[in-house]
Amino acid sequence: MRLRTLVRRWRTHPAAIAPVESPPGIREAAARHRGSLQLRHVDAGSCNGCELEIASIFSPVYDAERFGIRLEASPRHADALLVTGPVTRNMAGPLRKTFDALAEPRVVVALGDCARNCGAFAGAYGVEGAVGDVVPVDLEIPGCPPAPEAIVAALRNLAGS
Amino acid sequence: MSGLLVATLVLGLAGCVAGAASPIGIRTPLSVALTLAACAGALAVGVAVLVRGRAVSFHDQHLLPLSGFNLRLDRFGALFVVVSAGVAVCALVYRLGYDGHGLSSRTASAVLPAFVTTLLFVPSASDVTTFLFFWELMALTSLLLVLADHRHRAEVPVAGQWYAVMTQFGAAAILVGLVLLATHAGSQSFAAIAASSLHMRPWVRSAAFVLVVIGFGSKAGAVPLHVWLPRAHSESSGPVSALMSAAMVNLGIYGIVRVGDGLLHGGPVWWWLMVMAIGALSALFGALHSATSRDLKRLLAYSTTDNMGLVLLAVGASGLFAVTGRHALALVALVAALLHVVFHAVFKGCLFLSASSIQQATGTRDLDSLGGLLRRMPVTGSVFLVGGLAMAALPVLCGFVSEWLLLQSMLHGLPSKDPAVAVAMPVGVGVLALTGGLAAFTFVKAAGIGLLGLPRTEAAARAREVGPAMTGGSGVLAALCVLLGVAPFLVLPAVIDAANGVLGRRGPDPLVRGWQVGLSGVHGVLAPGILAAVLCAAVGTVALVRAAVEPGPVRVAEAWGCGRELQTARMEYTATSFGEPLTRVFEDVLAPSHDVDISHVAESRYYVEAATVHTSTDDGFERRLYAPAQRALRRFGTAARSVPNGSVHRYLAFGLVALVLVLVLVA
Repeated sequence: MRLRTLVRRWRTHPAAIAPVESPPGIREAAARHRGSLQLRHVDAGSCNGCELEIASIFSPVYDAERFGIRLEASPRHADALLVTGPVTRNMAGPLRKTFDALAEPRVVVALGDCARNCGAFAGAYGVEGAVGDVVPVDLEIPGCPPAPEAIVAALRNLAGS
Repeated sequence: MSGLLVATLVLGLAGCVAGAASPIGIRTPLSVALTLAACAGALAVGVAVLVRGRAVSFHDQHLLPLSGFNLRLDRFGALFVVVSAGVAVCALVYRLGYDGHGLSSRTASAVLPAFVTTLLFVPSASDVTTFLFFWELMALTSLLLVLADHRHRAEVPVAGQWYAVMTQFGAAAILVGLVLLATHAGSQSFAAIAASSLHMRPWVRSAAFVLVVIGFGSKAGAVPLHVWLPRAHSESSGPVSALMSAAMVNLGIYGIVRVGDGLLHGGPVWWWLMVMAIGALSALFGALHSATSRDLKRLLAYSTTDNMGLVLLAVGASGLFAVTGRHALALVALVAALLHVVFHAVFKGCLFLSASSIQQATGTRDLDSLGGLLRRMPVTGSVFLVGGLAMAALPVLCGFVSEWLLLQSMLHGLPSKDPAVAVAMPVGVGVLALTGGLAAFTFVKAAGIGLLGLPRTEAAARAREVGPAMTGGSGVLAALCVLLGVAPFLVLPAVIDAANGVLGRRGPDPLVRGWQVGLSGVHGVLAPGILAAVLCAAVGTVALVRAAVEPGPVRVAEAWGCGRELQTARMEYTATSFGEPLTRVFEDVLAPSHDVDISHVAESRYYVEAATVHTSTDDGFERRLYAPAQRALRRFGTAARSVPNGSVHRYLAFGLVALVLVLVLVA
């Protein structure tokens, strides 16, 4: 009895499996990635709420790696840039440099409301703007923070898996 | 031919006089031209001796008192004369474009031709006095040349002192050893010693051999008598360091082989095990220090110790094979040794000359201050690359062939009933393998840190290509690196002749088959020509395929530095950091010292104003062997000062005691 509870609790979340509709640019990228998506994550000034959710999609519950989605240490090895948070003044330069370091063709994913439109930090003195003001954004994942299911679903679309 | 030999000597002396006496405008061109003529004469004599196989002699009773002046250039000596002359020609051409480091002074201009001349005549001497005359003259002239820049840099006098002491110590050992042989032979000519050496008592032969190995070993930079070499070779000026490292150290090998094989006709097993042990130790120690050194010329100097160690390893293996009756292998090992002497001269001359060009263009030898030089000095950089690849013993360049031969001879010596051979050969193979790996590491460090990347200092960024004389002098040697590596059969017959000459037998001629190198009775065959052709074809195919396949659009981006805003050349890999893992692995041998110096701001100790780190690796022999010896000598000197205290009575007593002692000894 107790053993079964244990097994069920550790089983992967079923909701994460369904992919959602996606725009044509992302469908092209998905065809290119063919089920393997290497991400370089940049925290451009996030409150770390989105980071917690990113960490959770690689947990055993959602296990995004089974869809071929992986976090990379170097932008040189990455297909896509995963940016969280509003872009602060100090991180604008490093974000541009990281974007520049990605080989083409590349994709930029803005994760969370702050990355999309500065969210709660809009107009703050240390904020340069949303991610779209600094680098061209291809895919947005809304939410504050986005639910892990939503992140996995969006990234699966991008990965084509 | 003997007339040409004398003409060479006269031309060398004329160069010396021209350097001393001519006005400053024509001093360098005139003395260099005369010395070049002397080198050309020596080259002609040497090649003639090697081709015809007949020795050239010259005797005169008046030039040197008592013994006369006796020259006899045989095939073995001719090989060394040709090598020295070849290196000297390139170094002298280089000298015409080289400026500074005190070489233009009257003394240095006069001494340089003398030094070159002695390099040419040491292998021609045929009796003990003539040999020692040239040997001492070589030591003195090279010492003066090392000291040429003593006014401008404080390290030069220190290097000169080390060199003076070590070279005189070596010369004394050679003097005693050769005099011992001459006394027991009843004549001081080499021919007479060779004729009677087999009838001498064993202790005389052994004592003479050990003394001679010590003396010549110190000249060849063998551990533990190598301490002068990294100092003198790195502090002397460009052409002089090339001459010393590519021509002078060879004469140490010449002496050991001439006495061990030529005069004494081989000896017991322990002689050769000793030579092999010294060689193995030198090879490993030199390779390790050269891999962790950050001074470009010091790195090359330690690599000289490494390569001379390999030559001694081959000489020892050859002697060991000869004692155990395997004469074909003995010949192969000796040929490997002599071939490595020739090839080492070519690539080390090339490396020292191009390193000196780099020093002249940037004003520093510190690898951590260089960088990006291949783009700024394309010719010098390429020359250094070719020489470095040859030093790393990569195929199709000349260092490979000789090391391959040495490896083959040692591997084929393995099935042996003699326990000494059975133990020594695998150890030798291991040493050769480890040294080869370390040499490759050294090359990657020197070329990668010094030539590639971004310039680390303003001086390196401003470096410009040196003049045509300097690139020409080093470029010829680089071209020879490639030519001799692809076509070793150009020199191999001459080297085999020389080895046969000193071994005193007409052995089989097993090593050359057309344009291949092979061993008699063994399947190992090396065809560097085919290797080079295959390599060229492979590189060409790759280039063609790359050109044919449409490449995508190329975007040049900054090197990835974790998004850091300010990236400078100071963040590049340095020679020190590149060598750090190796330094840690061999911590016991290299004994690296780290000195961290942190100064705090005046207001608070929590804030650091500046932090400096000094790292250095010491020469273990210098620290553990020479420093205690120096301290003991100093103590002895201080104590001895109390003996002559000014008292006349005491001095009279000394005289009396000495007289009584002499009388007792004589009676």
